[in-house]
Amino acid sequence: MSSVTVIPLHDRERAAAERASIDGSCRGPVLFFTASAVFWLLAGSILAIIASAKLHSPYFLTGIPELTFGRVRMAHLQAVSIGWTSMVTMGGSVWMMCRLCRTELIYPKLLYVSATLWNIGTLLSVGGILLGDGQSVEWLDAPPYAPPFFVAGLGIVSAWVAATFRRRREKHVYVTQWYILAAVFWFPWLYTVAVFMIFWSPATGVVQPIVNWWFNHNFLGLWLTPVAVGTAYYLIPKIIGRPIHSYYLSITGFWALALFYSWAGMHHLIGGPIPAWLSTASTVGSMMMFIPVIAVGINHHMTMRNHFHRLKYSPALRFTVFGAITYTWVSFQGSIESLKDFSEVAHFTHYTVAHAHLGAYGFVTMIYFGLYYYMIPRLTGREWSSSTLIRIHFWCASVGITIYFVSLSIGGWWQGRMLNNPDVSFGSITRYLLPYLFSRTVAGILLTIGHVAFAMSFVMNLAGWGKKRTGGPTFFVEKVA
Amino acid sequence: MSAANVAMFAVVIGSIVVFGTATILALGWAFRNGQFDNFDQGAASIFGPDEPVGEPTDAFPK
Amino acid sequence: MDRGMVIFLGALLTFSSSWLGLILFPYWQLNNEKPYQKEPGDDPYPMPLQGEALAGRKVYQANGCIYCHSQQVRSEKFGNWWDENGQEHTGADIKRGWGSRRNVSRDYIYDNPTMLGTMRTGPDIANVGSRYSEAWQHSHTFNPRALNDWSIMPSFAFLYRKEKVVGERSGKALKLGREWTVDPGYRWRPSAGEWDAILQQRGDAIKSQFLSEPTHAGGIDPNTPDGKKRLLDFWLTTEEEGIQIVPTGDADALVAYLLALRKAEVPVPEAKE
Repeated sequence: MSSVTVIPLHDRERAAAERASIDGSCRGPVLFFTASAVFWLLAGSILAIIASAKLHSPYFLTGIPELTFGRVRMAHLQAVSIGWTSMVTMGGSVWMMCRLCRTELIYPKLLYVSATLWNIGTLLSVGGILLGDGQSVEWLDAPPYAPPFFVAGLGIVSAWVAATFRRRREKHVYVTQWYILAAVFWFPWLYTVAVFMIFWSPATGVVQPIVNWWFNHNFLGLWLTPVAVGTAYYLIPKIIGRPIHSYYLSITGFWALALFYSWAGMHHLIGGPIPAWLSTASTVGSMMMFIPVIAVGINHHMTMRNHFHRLKYSPALRFTVFGAITYTWVSFQGSIESLKDFSEVAHFTHYTVAHAHLGAYGFVTMIYFGLYYYMIPRLTGREWSSSTLIRIHFWCASVGITIYFVSLSIGGWWQGRMLNNPDVSFGSITRYLLPYLFSRTVAGILLTIGHVAFAMSFVMNLAGWGKKRTGGPTFFVEKVA
Repeated sequence: MSAANVAMFAVVIGSIVVFGTATILALGWAFRNGQFDNFDQGAASIFGPDEPVGEPTDAFPK
Repeated sequence: MDRGMVIFLGALLTFSSSWLGLILFPYWQLNNEKPYQKEPGDDPYPMPLQGEALAGRKVYQANGCIYCHSQQVRSEKFGNWWDENGQEHTGADIKRGWGSRRNVSRDYIYDNPTMLGTMRTGPDIANVGSRYSEAWQHSHTFNPRALNDWSIMPSFAFLYRKEKVVGERSGKALKLGREWTVDPGYRWRPSAGEWDAILQQRGDAIKSQFLSEPTHAGGIDPNTPDGKKRLLDFWLTTEEEGIQIVPTGDADALVAYLLALRKAEVPVPEAKE
């Protein structure tokens, strides 16, 4: 790559104008998705703190039946998985597909409908659960009147992705597009099979949890992970101005993920009343996941090499790289956790909760924060108004998730060891956990402060605070004569 | 060997054959179709004259 | 790759492999499992829930109980620990008394939804029906700390009704001291000032109640701080006058469900280790 390339001004201006027009066409629908997602992040954070506090202070809010721990816990998961992460997955996919296909956004009205349906479904789910209609099926707790909204909303987005892809102007299909195309194809299939075999035509006995955990694990691995990893594959090179280190590794990583991830789901049932061959198959799939995770890890690291200093200057990069590094570590942890000796101790404990949050927050959510900090100014045409708010957000998020992960991993691990010793009374295990559960509440409050700072930045940007981007539609770029 | 076991083996071996063949066919198609020529060009496809390689595109607001 | 079709076909094939292996196969293998009958004429095991217990399962579902309680006793090969001599043992779930054998797929054929649970914030309850009585379950559900002071389980006082006793005390009234019933769901203790006021009003009656207990023959002086405290601790364990806590229909149903949870008791051939 040459160090100095003189780019003719008219080429540059033309490309910038095209990019601005693509970004502009995305504004309405993508802002609808992302604003809704921020709302659900805040709602989910409040529900999370309530749930967490109840575990070490069981009399907290005891007078309100709708807020009993089991219901708040179910509602929290729905708000953050269906509300926050899924809506960013969809909104972000829309923008990245438009950018990578180099086409303007088509059928905006359909996307508005989709986001509306998704919001209604999520509201019905969260509200319905608090009012007592929760299903107690992990991740699929939404009451029976919610799924039609999700199926419809998702169907629209999947069809939209296919339609946009078909009319692409950019000949090359970039790695992020592979991930998005695959994710919007896999997720509807997953959801339909799961809802059918658990609710509409319920399978017998343990077949239900088998289907359930196939769905849950693939929600993480074939819906959230592909789009989050794909986002990192787009943002990291874009921000630092350097192409991905090895495109071959990208292909390997993608196909290995596609092949192995979907087999790992039964590791949630190790030791349970399922055929032994199922657990073994999933342990194999989980261990094979080292391949795509290492591929992605090497790729991102080698791309960032000699550019780590840029973390000081770019908020989007900080969040994205934090998330990408966490992806590597949480996946390694997950593979190890699927081994029998490990699972024997960690299963049923807060150790698993720590791992789940490291993945859903430390990896997916942090990358999505990075996406917001990069994408939103390009949609609204306005810079973020406060560096301080961004810094507060980053430090609260990174310190918060670290405290969360460390406290529950330590507590959870010893909880597991003690659970496995029948000479240790259940009461002493419960007492032992209290300081760790309290630390988790502290971590959750820190995370929520970060979310409030994030929401403030977001609202201020939408409301028109902050400098308009100067120097042409794409900012930070000096015109070259 | 019960009937269920035979069926399971048949499906497992059959799946390996099907997937293996599909993989080999796909790779063959990819090479013949020129998917792997100029492969690393793909990595540069996200840049453009307005956001070229070598220029960072994000920073803290002033 | 420049062809969307390749991505689509590849995603389809890889995904359908797991769909075949993890969904269809287990479905064919397990979906038609039938109950076990040791001798013809015996009750088949398991039997589907009926009546109150079936209604109780809905209460369990609605309140997310699975998020603290699992219902799967693991086998003798799982759950290892080392004793003082450094010898390794396994089978912690069974040794804790959570079941007399491990759970197998047959135990769940009538469960809909099948609530295996993946957290043990509270103990595994697959077999809890054989461990606690109906009265225990009611008191525990009302306010778990009344029975286990270390418990962090929520109080489900909203499943109970506090009412005035009319005529005779109900046979279903929970047997709990006033510290648990004055403020349902919470644990009540009067402040120093409130206790002084109560003693002024009814101190003599409380003192006689205290002395009527055989173990309290030694007497008590409510004018000393120590005596005051002892009297209060005693008084808190006495039942509130003219008040009773009775279960609502939901509480009866839930407890009926809990009593029906005996999933790791009846021996079945495939559970032999």
